[in-house]
Amino acid sequence: MFACLYLPDFPCQAALIAQYADAQGRSRYHPAAVLDGPKNLQRVFALNDAARKIGIKLGMTKLQVEACSEIWLFKRAAKHEASAHAQLFECADAFSPRVESTHPGTVLLDLSGTEKLFGSLENTAAKLLRDAESGGFVSHVAIASNPDTAQYAARGFSGITVVPIGEEALTLSRLSVALLPMAAEVLETLEGWGIHTFKALAGLPEGALITRLGQAGLHLQRLAQGRVIRPLLPVEPAQRFVETYKFDDPIETLESLTFVLDRLLQQLCTKLRVHSLATRELRLTLQLEVRQHNDAGNGEQYRHSWKLPFPAQDKNVLFNLIRLDLQKHTFSAPIKTVIIEALPIKPRFAQANLFAPPSPEAEKIEITLARIRGIVGSTDLNAISCVGTPKIADTHKPDSFTLEAFSTTNASVAELATMTPYTLRMFRPAMETTVKLSGATPHLVRLWSKHRRVIAASGPWCSSGDWWNKAMAWEREEWDVALKTQAGVGLYRIYFDRIYSRWFLEGMFD
Amino acid sequence: MNPATLRKVIETKLPLAFAVYERKDYGRVPTGIAKIDNLVSGVPLRALTEICGSSLASSGKTSVLVSLLSRATKGRYCALIDAGDSFDLASGRAAGIDFSRFLWVRCGRTIKLPPLEQAFKVADTLLQSNGFGLIAVDIGSLPEKVVRRIPLSTWFRFSRVVEKQSSALVFVEQESHAASCAGLVVRVQAQPSSLSGKLFSSLNLNVEIVRDRMKKPVRSTSEFSFQTQRV
Repeated sequence: MFACLYLPDFPCQAALIAQYADAQGRSRYHPAAVLDGPKNLQRVFALNDAARKIGIKLGMTKLQVEACSEIWLFKRAAKHEASAHAQLFECADAFSPRVESTHPGTVLLDLSGTEKLFGSLENTAAKLLRDAESGGFVSHVAIASNPDTAQYAARGFSGITVVPIGEEALTLSRLSVALLPMAAEVLETLEGWGIHTFKALAGLPEGALITRLGQAGLHLQRLAQGRVIRPLLPVEPAQRFVETYKFDDPIETLESLTFVLDRLLQQLCTKLRVHSLATRELRLTLQLEVRQHNDAGNGEQYRHSWKLPFPAQDKNVLFNLIRLDLQKHTFSAPIKTVIIEALPIKPRFAQANLFAPPSPEAEKIEITLARIRGIVGSTDLNAISCVGTPKIADTHKPDSFTLEAFSTTNASVAELATMTPYTLRMFRPAMETTVKLSGATPHLVRLWSKHRRVIAASGPWCSSGDWWNKAMAWEREEWDVALKTQAGVGLYRIYFDRIYSRWFLEGMFD
Repeated sequence: MNPATLRKVIETKLPLAFAVYERKDYGRVPTGIAKIDNLVSGVPLRALTEICGSSLASSGKTSVLVSLLSRATKGRYCALIDAGDSFDLASGRAAGIDFSRFLWVRCGRTIKLPPLEQAFKVADTLLQSNGFGLIAVDIGSLPEKVVRRIPLSTWFRFSRVVEKQSSALVFVEQESHAASCAGLVVRVQAQPSSLSGKLFSSLNLNVEIVRDRMKKPVRSTSEFSFQTQRV
């Protein structure tokens, strides 16, 4: 069975609750109206029964309403409505774990299995109504065998309505068709046919109705007959996967920390698995006993997050990632609290491809890369990553590149070169050298502390860029030179930096 | 006790004492250079390969490596451990390396560990991770006197580990050091053959197969022209 908790004149009730905390007192019986629209053309958007009694109608202008001195006027506020709806949802949540937030001011509850807790359906409805009233709301409650019947019964009848099974059509028969969700033109058509109530709509021949209004018409008729059975769409509460551990005495060693981390991650992964979820981002916060001077931005905390290229729920993978990272850090103060949070994501279900090339396991490779970063370092002196998939930067400046995270999921197909080029072996950073010129051509080049004679030279190849930015500007003249060495002929690329007026050895063709 | 009886006694105590350790050919990764592929059919899988060439004169060892990587990345994930941080991306792209299947490890200077030690540790880690079809370790930029100090046991360990993996392990060096631990040793040497106007138009690459565990006789040389282009 399903129950519907409905607040009539919801915007008005929300405004009253926001304005008067004691709305359950006399204020709920006081005429009140909510105005909406542009500032100079505000009209009545919602009003309560007390206002109706004194002749206020929907759509009246502010000026017309202000003629009535006793009415309370409010401006429509979305935050008040959201707050009132949240309060209503909370009230329903106390009765059932499956609550659908249908519309603002309307919630549907699944009452299956709640008989032993709240007694008969009438008792449950009465308790629900009482709880809503204690929150300051004037509400309608209806219980029926399907969600839509419960909803229309709650909207159409005040107080408590329990629709017996099999009598849905009979109970709803008196309601106006205007309650049904339909376009204004369809309502106009029905009224043109003289169909004003659910009973009249329910009695129309199916075939003729479909011919004239299509499948939408049939759905409206089924709603009027109370025959639409749809699943409830309960609101899933936002779940946070956080584990915290506070040490009795602050700890100073990695062993003690990893021992606790292992346990926390075990709990976190179990929780994720229970909810059929995995994580793609892990956040670790370590609260230190005193201020850590090295990291002023973080204050008394050490924070780090790991973004994984795959959804993981394996404790060992996550634990190893954290452990490998923590091994690189030293903290200037003992750790007093550990907070670890996993951002949930749906796990990956990938079918193995027989024709795909063998690749490292996604879970394993992340740990391998973390280990490699521990060996070679994360970044070089220019803050470019030391481990990853290379990507050539979109610039004409030679040797400009970045390294992206290595992943086995985004493999593409590159075209094979028709001709293997003679490859340059770079000197990073470029080695400064001295060059003696014969005319405009290099004649002697200093290489490994010796001057080498240039057998042949090709160049200059001039290039420049970023001239609009003085700090980044570059301008160079490249030469490819053949140098005579004791091991044979060496082909080198040298360049003259025109900005600093210096010669550099960029690499060797090898 | 005659030798036959002695052999029997030993075999009863140690059944594998006289067993011959057979090595199978598990397939090869073509280098993309037809002349080398004709000689040795490429770089052997589950074995250690050395590509050697001078560091002072242009030898062509890096070109062979890049060509190998460009062919290998078509069907495999490959890793390059760059001890001297000398890999040129523009050359790699021009050769057709599929960067989406390519892991580049630049041995850093920010860590106190020497680059050679970093490279070997990373190679060890990658071999254990399994899944890379080709792992190339470029130590050709490091001084020869440093590389020569690597004990033979290290090479032996690498050769035994790679035998159990489906990867090819390739070292680019100035001289061969792995001795009998290597499945294939290729020595390359280059000479500019012609100068067209102001540009080097081609180079003669002299390839010598110093050692091939699966094909004998081993000493075979081939000379062919290597075309050049500015990248």
